[in-house]
Amino acid sequence: MTEPLLEIDGLRIESRAGNEPRTIVGDMSLRLAAGETIGIVGESGSGKSMTARAVLGLLPPGLVASGTVAYQGRQILELPEGRLRQIRGGEISLVLQDPFTMLNPLRRCGRHVVELLRDETGGRLSRAARRTEAVRRLAEVGIDDPGVVDRYPFQLSGGMRQRVGLAAALARDPRVLIADEPSTALDVTTQKEILALLKRLQAARGMGVVLITHDLRVAFENCDRIYVLYAGALVEVGPSVDVEAQPLHPYTLGLLLSEPPLDHKVLELPSIPGSVPRHEQVADRCVFSTRCPWVEDICTAAPPPLLAAAPGRASACVRLGEIRSEITARRATRVAPAPLLARPPSAVPLISARDVAKRFGSVVALDGVSMELGEGESVGIVGESGSGKTTLARCLLGLERPDDGEIVVAGIRAENIAALDTATRRRLRQAIQIVFQDPYSSLNPVRTIGAALGEALAVAGRPASGVGALLNQVGLPAEYQARKPAALSGGERQRVAIARAIAVQPKVIVCDEPVSALDVSVQAQILNLLARLRDQLGLSYVFITHDLAVARQATDRVYVLYRGELVESGPVDDVLDRPAHAYTRRLVESVPGAPKARLAEAAEQLTMEGGS
Amino acid sequence: MQPSLKLSSVADLFGTQSQSSRRPTSSWLNPARGALLFAAKRLLGLAAVLLVISFGTFSLLTIAPGDPAQLLLGTRQQSPAVIHAVRHEYHLDRPFLVQYGIWLQHAVHFDFGRSIRTQDPVWSDISSRLGLSLFLGIYATLITVLVGVPLGVVAAVRQRKLVDRGVVALSVVGVSTPAFASGVAFLYLFAVRFGWFPVFGAGNGVVGRLYHLALPAVALSLTVMALVLKLTRAAVIGALEQDYIVFARARGLSERAVLSAYALRNAAIPIVTAAGAVLGALIAGAVLVEVAFTLPGTGSLLVESVEAKDVPMVQGLTATIAVVIVAVNLLTDLAYLALDPRMRFGVGAA
Amino acid sequence: MSTDGAAIIVAPTRVGRRSRRRVPIPIVLALLFLAVVVFLAFFGSAVAPINPKTQNLNASQLNPSSHFWLGTDLLGRDIFSRVLVGSRTAMLGPIIVALGAMLIGNTFGLIAGYRGGAADTVVMRAVDLMYALPPLLIAIVVGGIVGGGYWAAVAILVVLFSPYDARLIRGATLEQRDRPYVEAARTLGLPTRRIMVRHVWPNLLPLVVANTFLNFAFALVTLAGLSFIGIGVPPGTPDWGQMLADSRTLIFTNPWAALGPGGALVLTAVSMNLVGDWIYELLSDRGRLR
Repeated sequence: MTEPLLEIDGLRIESRAGNEPRTIVGDMSLRLAAGETIGIVGESGSGKSMTARAVLGLLPPGLVASGTVAYQGRQILELPEGRLRQIRGGEISLVLQDPFTMLNPLRRCGRHVVELLRDETGGRLSRAARRTEAVRRLAEVGIDDPGVVDRYPFQLSGGMRQRVGLAAALARDPRVLIADEPSTALDVTTQKEILALLKRLQAARGMGVVLITHDLRVAFENCDRIYVLYAGALVEVGPSVDVEAQPLHPYTLGLLLSEPPLDHKVLELPSIPGSVPRHEQVADRCVFSTRCPWVEDICTAAPPPLLAAAPGRASACVRLGEIRSEITARRATRVAPAPLLARPPSAVPLISARDVAKRFGSVVALDGVSMELGEGESVGIVGESGSGKTTLARCLLGLERPDDGEIVVAGIRAENIAALDTATRRRLRQAIQIVFQDPYSSLNPVRTIGAALGEALAVAGRPASGVGALLNQVGLPAEYQARKPAALSGGERQRVAIARAIAVQPKVIVCDEPVSALDVSVQAQILNLLARLRDQLGLSYVFITHDLAVARQATDRVYVLYRGELVESGPVDDVLDRPAHAYTRRLVESVPGAPKARLAEAAEQLTMEGGS
Repeated sequence: MQPSLKLSSVADLFGTQSQSSRRPTSSWLNPARGALLFAAKRLLGLAAVLLVISFGTFSLLTIAPGDPAQLLLGTRQQSPAVIHAVRHEYHLDRPFLVQYGIWLQHAVHFDFGRSIRTQDPVWSDISSRLGLSLFLGIYATLITVLVGVPLGVVAAVRQRKLVDRGVVALSVVGVSTPAFASGVAFLYLFAVRFGWFPVFGAGNGVVGRLYHLALPAVALSLTVMALVLKLTRAAVIGALEQDYIVFARARGLSERAVLSAYALRNAAIPIVTAAGAVLGALIAGAVLVEVAFTLPGTGSLLVESVEAKDVPMVQGLTATIAVVIVAVNLLTDLAYLALDPRMRFGVGAA
Repeated sequence: MSTDGAAIIVAPTRVGRRSRRRVPIPIVLALLFLAVVVFLAFFGSAVAPINPKTQNLNASQLNPSSHFWLGTDLLGRDIFSRVLVGSRTAMLGPIIVALGAMLIGNTFGLIAGYRGGAADTVVMRAVDLMYALPPLLIAIVVGGIVGGGYWAAVAILVVLFSPYDARLIRGATLEQRDRPYVEAARTLGLPTRRIMVRHVWPNLLPLVVANTFLNFAFALVTLAGLSFIGIGVPPGTPDWGQMLADSRTLIFTNPWAALGPGGALVLTAVSMNLVGDWIYELLSDRGRLR
């Protein structure tokens, strides 16, 4: 067996700073051979990014790593800076997550790529040689325009910047590339290109690649083997094909099941209750025991070791022998598909927007977009960044004023809020509310939950005593009203945001990417909550998302926006299964794990099963 | 964040790397044109500021208590005929704006009339003293920059270690010790007690000047250095926290290159944009230091003139100082333009 | 990372993670010292061993002794007692400047940052103007020509400090304004004033409080500078700045004449700065304003 390029054993990352010692990663091991792509999959708080940094000795001050990290057999964790610097970039390289902050804004792109190149004698290259190299390497990452060499990062799009970053990381031809969420900050179409590029580069250079991601679909599609991290500990390892088909750990199962399926709508998404704990809280037991449906005393007695469960596979579930068949059964269960709701078209739409146009300076955000929302409907607005979907939502809410077009919400003309009289404006505001994307900044950090919700209730003339009931409605205990947002997890904060939105008893709620900032396991909880509230309270939704799977689950009809224009619309099943417009088609194909063949197959299966 | 050049102060341009600016700047100007446009707008802004200041300076005569004509004559009582003559000579019988216009016309040629105290032309008094003040100012600036900037960098790089704590402590003390207090302290310690430096006088020739002005320059630079220390330290810390530093290190860049080409180069921007404010502190401190050390510079001239209610002199001095500050502000704006490519392309730094 | 250097200068310093449980020793000392100064500002004349106003030309320019702890000045007044009583002018004026500038600065800054428009233009132009001329100079010129003594100087400084405060608050408000929780408040239909005051401003509290302390220190130093050159307090008032000016004639014989008021001035300003920075760290760490 070939010697592994990179081998990590028992890696532990702790924070020594401050009064409270924290463990970021409890025990991490992995093996990477040349030509392989392995994926480290984990949600927030799993410690995956810190693992990458620890390998290169780039942990932020205050964090300390212990254990073994071996590159080509040599220990590198304890190396002095000088030796480590030779390895960085030259043998092992790292590409960061956010292309908008990864590059030095004051340095031209070409310079980023060639600044570390040296000739055979170790001296700097001549000017001409530098330029040639820069052009060549940029072409290698798919940038054919030689003018990019002289451009600054701010002149390029996110996808281009990521390519430049890749070229820079590969400048000294390393054998190992660690890509930390290389596509998370990008649109799904760009994401696909970048991941494909990575594959090409790996094949051409014979590198080993470690792909760090929170997106299971990305991992399955791009990695040979995956390592599943949860709360700082490894819970499962195995080839991605096998892990996907048959997970051997309850957490992996939970993750797989709570991913909203792209190809069909389900009545209720399976979800994992609770949220990810900190490693110290569960260090003495199975890290997943607090949320596992199969938990027993043996799970909380001691941390289970990672044991081989099958050839090439390992699992840290101590009860695996007993529950294996149950896990397999659950995986195979087809969650009940949602029946097609025949909602009668309402006579007067709740929202009607015609030819809405908006520009910011010379940038056209919306170019004549029209849409409708019927009572009780959930309508999706789908698009990538720059499509105008957020602008449209803000226009509906009155947070932006469109330059042109007409918007009617609940019978009130809404495109010029300032011109309305106070009473009408108040009625409008109470008719339509919003849930934002980022749970961390959508609640005022200095106010208690109770105060924030009480204020919302007051706007609707409802008594403040209703706060407790409101919290219960979104699945939170009434005691939370005394807490401040900092004490809540992301999912809990999002529930509070939803509570605030329903407090005024609106008719429409605009959900602006309400789950994209959440972990997958929590995402499903929130989507279920939103669906339940819709039925209970008779709400209608305008659902903004870039995630087609979420759109499939959460909406009845969908509008597809591209660069400010409406390119397609229709019932969500039709649009996603049989996209008419080329852009929609491209969008659907770009979703990881949804090749055309799979889509067609799924559609066929559904028709065979007699309707959905 | 829309790309637009607004007529705003340079220090306005916040440079937060925001995630919302995902769209490539589709409408960037040719860099040379962008630079020119920027410079032109700044020039216009600064000219407007000068105009307002000149207006304020001119109004000093009017807002000063007492009859302007009497004021211009000093403390001596004069016959009504003389007062009338003065009123006519100084156009005090004309409408306010006309007076302003005439004054402005003269001012642009550096003609501020005559000093009430010395009866000499204001400008000749100022220019004779300007050299000393400029020397002191440049001396202090050199000390500040050559000591303050490196110290600030070291403090940022060795954050929370002893050096950093020491530097922060020094900065706090410097900000709290006004130039006249440290001036008097130095005067006592090094001039009177140890006798290393002369107590009075400004010295002749460059070397003489350097020797005589050493204490005042150091006293002056102490306060200003505190600001520069704080600024440099914060700017470098801010730069070192950025993702591009991690990425640079991950590629194997040497610490030296990371510090110079990445951290310092980026930190230079906020440092340069503060140059105007720092200069203001320098000039204010210089006035106090000149009084403390009884140096015959423009600062002490200002104080003397204010005490004597010598309005034309005060007007001349204020105008001169304003021009100097505005000129330096313009230079720093141009430097900012040179440092930050985003400005040249007509993008607000985002 | 902000590229606004001038805002960095006037903002409180972040030193980094300090242990929140224990108050650092320098801060304890600073707080104690400030308590003493505040006490003296009220009760200084009662506590002073010798009446600071009593002139005694026979006892002029004496060196420190057991009777006159720091010696006497030109007019035979006890320097030590004058230092104690000088804390009054050292406290009163700067407090008014700090609070006044904070009030005006916060109001304009909030409105400018949140609403933009006219208020915004006013603030930005005013600050442009202020950057062109340092406050001390304007105070010297206007205070000297127009006269008016101590309180006129205080009033002038309130006007001159406000734009810097407004600028700082404006920047912080801008940062908060586009955050979702503010937009949620707008969507609820809450009145603008309520949003500014009850939603945005509480998040600025660490900055506001810390900045008030820093303003105080700067005002103290500036006012002392004014009285040093003879503008501000009428001659004869026990005032640290003026005493420093007087001490120059005594520099060959009695350095304590300078060290007393000078030391008091510097220590007070240092204490205020230290406490201001520390409060900023303390309040920001609690999860506000990131």
